[in-house]
Amino acid sequence: MSTPVIADPASNPAAEPAVVKGGPTLGQRVTSFMPVIALVALLTALTIADPDFLTQRSLTAAVRTSAPLVVLAAGATLVVLCGGIDLSIAALCSLSTVLFAMWLPDMGGLTILAVIAAAGAIGAVQGLAHVLLRIPSFVVTLGGLSIFSAIALVISDAGPIRVVDRDSTKWLNLYVAGYVPMSFFVALLVVAVVSLILKLTPLESFVKAIGYSESAARLAGTPVDKVKVAAFTVSGACAGLAAVMLASRNFSGSPTMADNLLLPAVAAIVVGGTAITGGHGSLWRSLAGALVVTLLRVGLPIVGVPSAWEQILYGAIIVAAVALTLDRSKVAIIK
Amino acid sequence: MTSPAKADDEVVRAPRPQPRRGVSLGDAGPPIALVVIIGIFSLLSPDFRTIANLQNVMDAAAVLAVATCGISFVLMMGSIDLSVPGVMGASAIAVALLVANNRNDNDLGLLGVLVAVLLGAALGCLSGMALVSLKVPSFMTTLGVSAVGLGIATLMFSGVQPNISDAMLRGWAVNRFLGLAYLTWIALGCVLVGWLIQRYSRLGRYAYAIGGAEEVLALSGVKVAPYKVAVFTLAGSFYALAGVMVTSQLSAGLVQAGKGYDFAAITAAVVGGTLLTGGRGGVLHSAVGVLLVIVLQNGLVQIGVSPYWQGGVQGLIVVAAVSAAVLPQRRRNQVTK
Repeated sequence: MSTPVIADPASNPAAEPAVVKGGPTLGQRVTSFMPVIALVALLTALTIADPDFLTQRSLTAAVRTSAPLVVLAAGATLVVLCGGIDLSIAALCSLSTVLFAMWLPDMGGLTILAVIAAAGAIGAVQGLAHVLLRIPSFVVTLGGLSIFSAIALVISDAGPIRVVDRDSTKWLNLYVAGYVPMSFFVALLVVAVVSLILKLTPLESFVKAIGYSESAARLAGTPVDKVKVAAFTVSGACAGLAAVMLASRNFSGSPTMADNLLLPAVAAIVVGGTAITGGHGSLWRSLAGALVVTLLRVGLPIVGVPSAWEQILYGAIIVAAVALTLDRSKVAIIK
Repeated sequence: MTSPAKADDEVVRAPRPQPRRGVSLGDAGPPIALVVIIGIFSLLSPDFRTIANLQNVMDAAAVLAVATCGISFVLMMGSIDLSVPGVMGASAIAVALLVANNRNDNDLGLLGVLVAVLLGAALGCLSGMALVSLKVPSFMTTLGVSAVGLGIATLMFSGVQPNISDAMLRGWAVNRFLGLAYLTWIALGCVLVGWLIQRYSRLGRYAYAIGGAEEVLALSGVKVAPYKVAVFTLAGSFYALAGVMVTSQLSAGLVQAGKGYDFAAITAAVVGGTLLTGGRGGVLHSAVGVLLVIVLQNGLVQIGVSPYWQGGVQGLIVVAAVSAAVLPQRRRNQVTK
């Protein structure tokens, strides 16, 4: 009874606006503003728990911590919008921190661009493997995850590498207009630029078409394979940029530095309301999701919850958020 | 070894004549690959071709074999399970706290092992329930459950490593029977039990059928959902036993007891000939896959490759094996997510 039934749209309001254009009901509108509501609710709750939280200093610190997560989640959102998933972002980011620390003495200021380009190229390779070999994206990126970790371990000899030249990343630790940390500003810039490019070009329609129905998009002449490879490339490049942020903050690169960012990044995407089945969602949603996740992370100790609960919470959040946003009309059988 | 595999082949062969050639090749492939790899490493390294090293390989395969047994059932259904590290971590700490240890006065012995396995079964059941009731894809539910398991493990760990002093559990890793550690015999027992479940129980048969054609099964009036939950529960208890075995090997409970085993188990199952799309493979296939993965690990170290490469080699193998498996249908499968 519960398996191959195509769920009737009325029973899943969250998925509804994705399918039907036009009149979303009040409930659906509220659901689509969920990440923002959650963000405000969290902020309020934390301020009540600790009035000192709503000060400029702690908020600055919070958004500064969130910058790498925002970038990682934003990149991977593109892949998710295409209906795939990128599980390799955290491992690729760790590998990139190692590359960054190793290349810095030779390349100086150019290292940032080099690392982003290298990570983008690696992402492109994954995308090519996905579309050419027709392997599901989560297998490719799961394989990528372990391959990148292995490479990072081997080239770094399994230890952290110190960033010797701090001048080239100094600008990331500056503040825009005195308040907004530069790294967060860059993260915002990435989200804005990528969203704008999507909006101004046919790319947004391409991505959504692929996400909603890949076979239909293919028949309609959408360059499906190219768009998918591009999505993986951007996802990789974003992992590279996140790596630069992490390395500049920690003054070192290490083969496991970003590994624990995978779950938060996936959580950020799904909490933002991007459907894991593809099509519905946006980068801005992931930005809100990333802020929610960061606030949870920063806020739990303030409320007095031991940090071990953080993991459990992530797990629960991911499952709950996916359950809310999943477009069930598309997948008749859930594997 | 060959006859059951053949028999399984017969069962699934009839309705789908198209991919038959690929499948029979795939069935013979892993054992042949195993023999070839053993041959190559024996030629390259004199240390590899010793009886002591053979024992090493078998003992090293024990934990992975048990975890892979569990994941085989999930993969047979066409689902995926990323919850191995979480479940193994939780059960490893749980068992360390339940048998005689340095943290508390518990001394439950075998009962402690049982409780740890039940904890794993509960976590597996949670994945299954989320899959069928919330209709969330299994890779998401199990990713979530893995985080939950790690969280539970961290809560129980609470900063002080539990070292076990229970003679029985420590003995499992040290004492030998006919040249193999007790753990290895436990693993062999698990493979046997897994094979019996797969071959002779309704659960095993339905797991196959769900992977092959779930709609057909559901339309034939079978309630699929309970079987899915049961398969995840079974898998969870296998992972938990693997976690107990790690605790026995280390004489201590670690949160990271299952780190890397998720991927290693998927690798082993896929290399053994289980398709990620479901409906093919099985416990015995996976057992061959486990030996392949472990022999490769052991052999690469023997010929002087850095052990850090292990994960990378596994990643390459999985991608290669999966792409080889989908290659015949490449033209038909225009849509891959």
